[in-house]
Amino acid sequence: MEFKDIRILLCDDSMFARKKLRMFFSSLGIVNIFEAADGEEAVEKYKENKPDLVFMDIVMPKLTGIDALKAIKEFDKDAKVVMASSVGTQSHLKQAIVLGAYDFVQKPIDDAQVEKIIRNAMK
Amino acid sequence: MFAQFFGAFLLNNQLVSPETLAQAIDDKKNTRMRLGVLAINAGLMTADQVEHVNVAQQSVDKRFGDLCVDLGYLTSADVDRLLSEQPTDYLLLGQTLVNNGSLSNADFESAISAYKAKYQLSDDDISNNQNDKLSAIVKDFFHFNTAENARIYTEYVTLLFKNIIRFIGDDFTPLESCMVSEAEAEYIVCQTIHGKYNAEICLACPSAEYIAFAERFAKEELSEVDEYTNEIVGEFLNVNNGLFVVNESNQLGIELSLDPQTYIHNGSVKYGNKAFCIPVAFAFGEVEFFISIT
Repeated sequence: MEFKDIRILLCDDSMFARKKLRMFFSSLGIVNIFEAADGEEAVEKYKENKPDLVFMDIVMPKLTGIDALKAIKEFDKDAKVVMASSVGTQSHLKQAIVLGAYDFVQKPIDDAQVEKIIRNAMK
Repeated sequence: MFAQFFGAFLLNNQLVSPETLAQAIDDKKNTRMRLGVLAINAGLMTADQVEHVNVAQQSVDKRFGDLCVDLGYLTSADVDRLLSEQPTDYLLLGQTLVNNGSLSNADFESAISAYKAKYQLSDDDISNNQNDKLSAIVKDFFHFNTAENARIYTEYVTLLFKNIIRFIGDDFTPLESCMVSEAEAEYIVCQTIHGKYNAEICLACPSAEYIAFAERFAKEELSEVDEYTNEIVGEFLNVNNGLFVVNESNQLGIELSLDPQTYIHNGSVKYGNKAFCIPVAFAFGEVEFFISIT
């Protein structure tokens, strides 16, 4: 798989955070990018678009990123969901691992780390 | 961060005016360190000796360092060592103020000596950005010593200033804090940390400063305050609070959570327990941080 083929769902309640990540994805040549502004929308967009990779914030209105991760994994046990959050605490990490998160990225986001995760997911 | 608190020290001791300090903070990026100030800072020469060399240099065609060696104030090794060291930010600020005539060499000598003595700072502490010394300055400067939850206030505000330097810029001066029961401003962003303890944190300022702060964080130009501007400022608070929560979890095993940010326009936030108001003077204007920990 190449960057132009991968489908990524970006879930963050901050328009600014989404814009930053979208710009970085675009700079890599990724074109299939879907966005969700809360946990509920993230689950809906996942079901609708079946992305190869999801970047999910934790602190979001309506449904938290952890709850959205749980719902997505119930729908698709092979879903690759990367938790991208400012609150990478021990308990959140444990919860995310137990629920089957693919990886964890602490905000402020390190572009190099994100690129590495995407490359691994494309293998 | 030592430079910002040195600026605050000069301001609080009325050694410079806010306008002079703001100008010096802006000018220091173009300042080149001179041997005299370096030697005073290192305690190798007094201000009088530096003045003596300055006067002597007017009648002798020699470099400042060579004259210092001739007059027995410094050795050649001292000169080489002082000139090879990377200047720290607070020294650049001091040199800028000496260069523009705001401080004499004697003023600088007494100010730097008093600043180091007050916070028991060595040059190594400053060069290595010693975290415990930074925390000690924050604790003393904002009078957290007597506050309940002094440790949390100190850790939080130390991290906040590090992140301001990292994401917004180092051209600011922390100002004296005060206790308030209400935060009122044109624009306010708040976020609550909860768990073993609760912390209500707000950033408040008028629109021009709000836009300038957001522009610095987003690294893009903004023309007005809209939902996007709010989210940028909110994201700064979220990133800072997230890093604080992670530190508390990793270092002390304290698990805390964050609520989504809330945004207020032309309004106020009331605190049950009084909050610390921490004003920060940036080159673009003043921004206030309100912190209440219960």
